[in-house]
Amino acid sequence: MLIAVLPARSARRPHFGGTLRVDVGAAVNSLDSAVAASDPAEAAAEAQIESLLYDHSGGASSQSAPGAFRLSAWEPGKRVALAANEDYRGGRPFVDSIEIATARSPRDRLLDLELGKADVAEIPPDQTRRATDGGVRVSVSRPDELLALVFSAASAAAQDAAIRRSIASSMDRVSMVSVIFQKTGEPASSLLPQWSSGTAFLFSPPGESAGPQSSAAASPSTSASSMQEPQPQIASSPALVLGYDSADILEQSVAERIVVIARESGIAIAARPFPPSQQSSPAAAPIGFDGRLVRWTMPSPHPREALAGFLASFPDLAAAAQVLPAGLPASASPQDVYELQRKLLSDSRIIPLVWLPQVYGLSSRVRDWSAPAPGEGWPLADVWLAGDAQ
Amino acid sequence: MTFRAKLFWVFSLAMVLSVGLVAAGVIVVTRRAFAGLNTAHSDALVAQFQREFGRRGQEVVDRVKAIAEDEGTTKMAIDLSRPQGDVSIYAYDARGVSQSHQLDVLDFVSADGSIISSAESPNHYNVKMDWVTQPEDWAARGYFLMRIDTESSGPELALLAVSTVRVGDKDLYVVGGQRLGKEFLASLVLPAGMRAFLYLNLDPAYQSLDLLDAKGPAPEADRLQSVVEGDLRQPSGPATRFLWTPDAASAEEFYSLPLTGRQGELLGILLVGNSQREAVLLERHIVYLALIVVGIGLLVGAILSWWAAARVTRPVTQLAQGAREVAAGNWSTHVNVRGGGEIRELAGAFNQMTQQLIEQRERLIQAERVAAWRELARRLAHELKNPLFPLQTTVENLQRAREQTPEQFDEVFRESTAILLSEIENLKAIVGRFSDFAKMPQPELAALNLNDTVRGVIKLFEAQFSAVGRPPITSELHLDEELPAIQADATLLNRAIENLVLNAMDAMPAGGVLMLRTSHKNGIVSLEVSDTGAGLTPEECERVFTPYYTTKQHGTGLGLAIVQSVISDHGGRITVESETGVGTSFHIDLPIQPPHRALVFPIVFEKKLEA
Repeated sequence: MLIAVLPARSARRPHFGGTLRVDVGAAVNSLDSAVAASDPAEAAAEAQIESLLYDHSGGASSQSAPGAFRLSAWEPGKRVALAANEDYRGGRPFVDSIEIATARSPRDRLLDLELGKADVAEIPPDQTRRATDGGVRVSVSRPDELLALVFSAASAAAQDAAIRRSIASSMDRVSMVSVIFQKTGEPASSLLPQWSSGTAFLFSPPGESAGPQSSAAASPSTSASSMQEPQPQIASSPALVLGYDSADILEQSVAERIVVIARESGIAIAARPFPPSQQSSPAAAPIGFDGRLVRWTMPSPHPREALAGFLASFPDLAAAAQVLPAGLPASASPQDVYELQRKLLSDSRIIPLVWLPQVYGLSSRVRDWSAPAPGEGWPLADVWLAGDAQ
Repeated sequence: MTFRAKLFWVFSLAMVLSVGLVAAGVIVVTRRAFAGLNTAHSDALVAQFQREFGRRGQEVVDRVKAIAEDEGTTKMAIDLSRPQGDVSIYAYDARGVSQSHQLDVLDFVSADGSIISSAESPNHYNVKMDWVTQPEDWAARGYFLMRIDTESSGPELALLAVSTVRVGDKDLYVVGGQRLGKEFLASLVLPAGMRAFLYLNLDPAYQSLDLLDAKGPAPEADRLQSVVEGDLRQPSGPATRFLWTPDAASAEEFYSLPLTGRQGELLGILLVGNSQREAVLLERHIVYLALIVVGIGLLVGAILSWWAAARVTRPVTQLAQGAREVAAGNWSTHVNVRGGGEIRELAGAFNQMTQQLIEQRERLIQAERVAAWRELARRLAHELKNPLFPLQTTVENLQRAREQTPEQFDEVFRESTAILLSEIENLKAIVGRFSDFAKMPQPELAALNLNDTVRGVIKLFEAQFSAVGRPPITSELHLDEELPAIQADATLLNRAIENLVLNAMDAMPAGGVLMLRTSHKNGIVSLEVSDTGAGLTPEECERVFTPYYTTKQHGTGLGLAIVQSVISDHGGRITVESETGVGTSFHIDLPIQPPHRALVFPIVFEKKLEA
């Protein structure tokens, strides 16, 4: 989905040549597929680059088939240079080479786009409005990344289902989407998005809809502000500790918002970043944390496969719901997927918050870019650059 | 205690009291001066705090007003006044605006009281801030103190101001302010020895982290809990004195300034600590100096007191010495007192008195001498007149016999010459007795047992006690057999005891009991001679030892005078006790070893009183 209006094209026919400059936020320290990066963002970036170097479309036998590009240079943690594979079985890509700058901060990526130093760059969802205001073309995928609050099965404080349900019912997802994510994203109440499962609206709490929210729909909280008149004091010792990735500004904002909302509901929650040594493993909350914010990206647009991937990513939730991580048969119907979601969400051990899309900023010379679907790599082999004739 | 010692202590006590009062006065005045200085310093700091508070408050008011009048704020107000106004695009504007206007706190609040954007709590969007929308003239209100809660810093105090932007019939509220914390304390210029704490009254009970100094939470917070709690109970109470250590120099006085909110609630307390170290050390120094001065003063005062006492009492001492000498018999004592005043007059009066005493004594002696001569003349005349009358008669008989009866003259002559010789012999005896009394020999001392002497005298007179023709006299001896020997003249002492026995016999013409008792005590040997005669009158007792005084028909009046002379020559004394109708008792005390020079003791008359 390309939401920005593309500038007037001087030529509609693709042509070859040019170097595509890509900015990514994660560092790329390994290109060995057998060595999985501990950082999910780094692993995702490495997977994207691997999809350019190798062609998996042929099934298992094509594991080692060359991809559309070849590795021409690599400075771990800084840049990766790819060159067009003339012998690619899918046909030579349009661009001659790709320069991927890694470990670029969101601010640098946006600046690179605005200054014309990058052709493609990942943009955080909350920066979408700023990018468009700055004249940057923005490509927004379907929401495929779930931001959710997951309670730890090992936490004694989080064992009270009533408290978990109270927290779940107090969440103002619409406000989160409107303010924190600047309307880029959708309130989430299910484990699969509406566009994938078609049943997400059945999980929506009263007053919230699964679709995009307008600011006018965001109902103000009735709670008190930070500047309080003399009123009864809030409990000073929080019962629940919520962890988040300190490197993720959005997670921090969401966590702090949850604290505010929960406090107004009479539930004491404290938000703390994960210790540096444990930030890379948010799938299970470290000791001392009763819950954590997690980001889960759908591995597939297919609801059954996506849900299977969810179960594999969160075995503790599957165990708590007495569901086998690989227990979803291939013949599972949409009803089965719905029922399984319902079962996983029934005890509010996981509280879906927001569905986030993948947002890319594009320079004006990028042509034929299509936002990748869940599980798909960057469509860089199909992209051509306007004005770079062979 | 002597008069000089009394005067010395009186002078010293007066000086101690005077110096003590002056020292106490100096200390009290010094303490009051320091207390006044402390109060002035504290008042100045409180005034400075209030000025700084007002200045900062006005700054906040001005900055909030500037934000409200800013073009961006006006645009925001216009957008929000529309029915479908999008608040989300302003959600993070407050932080940037607050930074550009140097405000710690900034909130944009919509007309319904919902936070649109919050600088200090970005995630408080859509949260209600109802108190802003309550009817109040915020422009007139100016700045005020309020509690704020932020996710990052927790509860704090802030100096706030509210300004409104009206677009159409909707208001946009701009709430801004600055935190009141360590930065504010650090901006206060404190005099040496003073410091300021700010307690944020944000919790129901005292929290040590809420007590701030210029660097953050005060390290002394735990120890100052009692001070803060006392000020919370009585915010405008008197200064609290706090001892950090048992040493008084560690004391610090805390003055409190209550910080109230918009509705008068106690939100915090400014504690102004004023170290008492310098004051205490200075006061201690002054006290030490005062003590040294007092000590030196007392020493000098004692010396001066002693000198003054000696100067004042010297004439008195001389007078006392003179009085003692007069009492000892030296009536010619003369007191020489220099200077003037009452003491000199007293000395003059004393000297005049002694002079008068001497003159009076000489007149008395002269009178007694004249009286004695008269008595002697009377006695001589009396004694000589008795023999002279027979002599005259005999000589006249001789003359008459020669003229009238010459034949009988021879016989008359023989008888007359016999009478004349007898009377002449009698006159010689009288003259001899007087001569003997005049020539009393000095005693020749030798060891003597008084009991033996008493027994010898009694044995001599035993025959006379029971002589035919007179009533019997019974003698009783109560002799102390442990009586020590004394140094005495046996002949004189024997004569004295004989005289006493003879005197007793003369006192008992109708018979009676003569009792002699000896005893000894403390180097004195005593002899008591008692009779059961008619006794003496007090007047007779007074004169009984006077020479030539007698109460008997044929006495010479020399017996008891001789006894007293003998006893006196032995360093002893004799006293008489008598009761009319009961008897008379003479009591003699003799020293075992008489002094080299015999002293004459005054006669002591003791009269037994009946009933």
